[in-house]
Amino acid sequence: MDILVIHLFNALLYASVLFLIAGGLSLIYGVMRIVNLAHGNLYAFGAYVTAWVVGQALAGAHPVILYLLLPAGAFAAALLGAILEPTLLRPFYRRAEEYQLLVTFGLLMILEDLMRFFWGPYPLTATSLFEKMGSLKIGESVYPRYNLLVISIGVLAAGFLWAFVYKTRFGVVLRATSQDMRRASAMGVNVNRVYIQAFTIGCFMAGLGGAIVVPGQSAVLGMGVDALVLAFVVVVVGGLGSLEGALVGALIVGIVREFGVSVFPEVELAVLYLIAVVVLLVRPAGLFGRTA
Amino acid sequence: MPGPVTRRDLLAQLGVTAAATFGASAAGIGFAGVARAQEKPKGTIPDKPFRIGHMTFFTGPGAVLGEPMHKGNLLAADEINAQGGLLGKRKIEVLKADEAAGTDANVKEMRRLKLSEKIDMFMGITSSGNTPALGPAAEELKLLTIFIDGCTDFLFDKAVPNPRYVFRVTNIQSADGSTCALAVAQTWPDVKKVAHIHPDYAYGRNCYDHFSIVSKKLIPRAQNVSEAWPKLFSTDFTSHITKTLAAKPDLLVTSVWGGDYISFYKQALQHGLFDKMKVATTLALGTAPHAIGKDHPEGVLAGVHANYHFSYPPGNRWPLNKTFVEKYKAKFNEYPNFQAEGAYTATHILRTAVEKANKLTGGWPDDDAIISQIEGMMIAGPGGYVYIRPDNHQGYKDAITGFSKNVPEYPFPILDPARIITIPIRNITAPPGWPKGEPTSTYTWIDQTWPTVKQA
Repeated sequence: MDILVIHLFNALLYASVLFLIAGGLSLIYGVMRIVNLAHGNLYAFGAYVTAWVVGQALAGAHPVILYLLLPAGAFAAALLGAILEPTLLRPFYRRAEEYQLLVTFGLLMILEDLMRFFWGPYPLTATSLFEKMGSLKIGESVYPRYNLLVISIGVLAAGFLWAFVYKTRFGVVLRATSQDMRRASAMGVNVNRVYIQAFTIGCFMAGLGGAIVVPGQSAVLGMGVDALVLAFVVVVVGGLGSLEGALVGALIVGIVREFGVSVFPEVELAVLYLIAVVVLLVRPAGLFGRTA
Repeated sequence: MPGPVTRRDLLAQLGVTAAATFGASAAGIGFAGVARAQEKPKGTIPDKPFRIGHMTFFTGPGAVLGEPMHKGNLLAADEINAQGGLLGKRKIEVLKADEAAGTDANVKEMRRLKLSEKIDMFMGITSSGNTPALGPAAEELKLLTIFIDGCTDFLFDKAVPNPRYVFRVTNIQSADGSTCALAVAQTWPDVKKVAHIHPDYAYGRNCYDHFSIVSKKLIPRAQNVSEAWPKLFSTDFTSHITKTLAAKPDLLVTSVWGGDYISFYKQALQHGLFDKMKVATTLALGTAPHAIGKDHPEGVLAGVHANYHFSYPPGNRWPLNKTFVEKYKAKFNEYPNFQAEGAYTATHILRTAVEKANKLTGGWPDDDAIISQIEGMMIAGPGGYVYIRPDNHQGYKDAITGFSKNVPEYPFPILDPARIITIPIRNITAPPGWPKGEPTSTYTWIDQTWPTVKQA
């Protein structure tokens, strides 16, 4: 029984992080119609910055301060996004999609090399945050409390984002721009500003994903590309451009993966792609996707 | 008919030794890295630099293994250049190439290095996915090559069955799973239920296969109760740990390595995994010895790729190791891993071969002369003697593993100096003339020639 509860926690843990990454990717696509291939490394960037900042502060810092430093990676990724959108992406909106793919893919690789340049080839860890919280006893088993924190952050982020998009004035503007950029612009919406805000929020989410993952895992080179691929599986399942889709997609992927690891260990890697294949065959636009 | 073979008999036959012993004198054997009076070379030697193309992972998660490999090569090149270069004349130049470019691009880069950069020799390679493609290319280019790692049995079993230009210095992969299983059979012969977590690629599969075949012979009562195959370079093992815990095994065997292993053990600690079972690894302390924290549990069978850990041979018992570790630490401010030791030894294999060939032929020896000197060479490296088998060009050195232990001298765990396990390599690898087999020659050799033990 306790093992079943832990399996469920594991699935939610995986889904929480995936939602943050894929949600950001989907939000950016929904508003700007740009597939940001560099998104994976904004996630990695968030992980590296948090690991680095926590590592710097570690000597004698109060644990509470360390936990307050956790979102540092999210803010750093948001800042990076706010710089990248107007300088690198904006000139390419009017060009064909291939250019955007090339630019963002180039950016993905440049970011990877920059991280290696600054932080070296070895994994960067912030495990003290993971360890200090200890483990919770569930029946005969124990479970890391930190993982529960990650799940809570995932749930909170989903809630905030929903309220933000559907309950605020900015959300209305965001959705209007997403539905029809030209008309929104004609109605007086400053599209450039909406773009930079949407991109920054998307990057913040990716960075937050990295920041909350790094204490339990570690920041390693290549983590961004892996995350990007998984995020694509989620958005393929959920539908590109839809936040609900990202949430449901992340939950499906989280649960199926947990099941796959336990029952079909030999095809663990294939299971996720099989879900994507099935969804693509049955509903090519994804579960919540808008058909063009 | 003799009686049934006991586990004790078989372990003794295989020479599995659990003590920090080291014998034999170095008389008549070449040695790496110690300054010595340079003999004057015969004939005239050109002073053109000797260019080595060093390809390994400089980017991506594999860089954790690639960087130390390159550093080992650089350290040896520095030592040789300080004496004027090869034969006192030809300084070694090391050109870098990034293995992370992908297998096809790596083959093209090897061609480019040979044809455009005019390298005299190729060195490096970490991934077992790359040596089987680069080996045949090096043969075709007639490019003298010493692979440091990329240790798959497949390279000399199948891809280059009759090598001429290609050598490899670190132990083959099958030795890793076999060493791990022999250490388990010796230390924990009573395990009944075994769980596995291996990265899902060639190395993980190879470790699983060889652990399984050796344990079938030595601990036949052990049952496989759980398997998990995480993706290579993933850092989330939560699900795999839960699955393992649910199966309630006595022993977990894992070949997860590098940053993956660091994440794995941190997560396993918080799930209480180490309290509930014994753990045997193949590469825990092998990747980067200083990357493991003191929170790592003691008494874990902490593999070093069956190759080398800088703390063994300890102290001044094997001066080559002492000086190597000191120089490496001074130059790079970290401790060498098995890749660094391999690349360092390989560079000195080159130097030794060039010097010997020069004595025979005079002048700068051609590749054939150098190759004939590397074939059958026995050389002392920091980790012990390495023997390059002439038939398959594979380097063999005694396999080693041990148990993690914290000592005051280092801020990270090392191999428990009191319980190092060494195994003569010839006893766990297929001998010359053994037919090629599936999945490896060593696997079929163990399967067909080792007895199954009947009792402890």
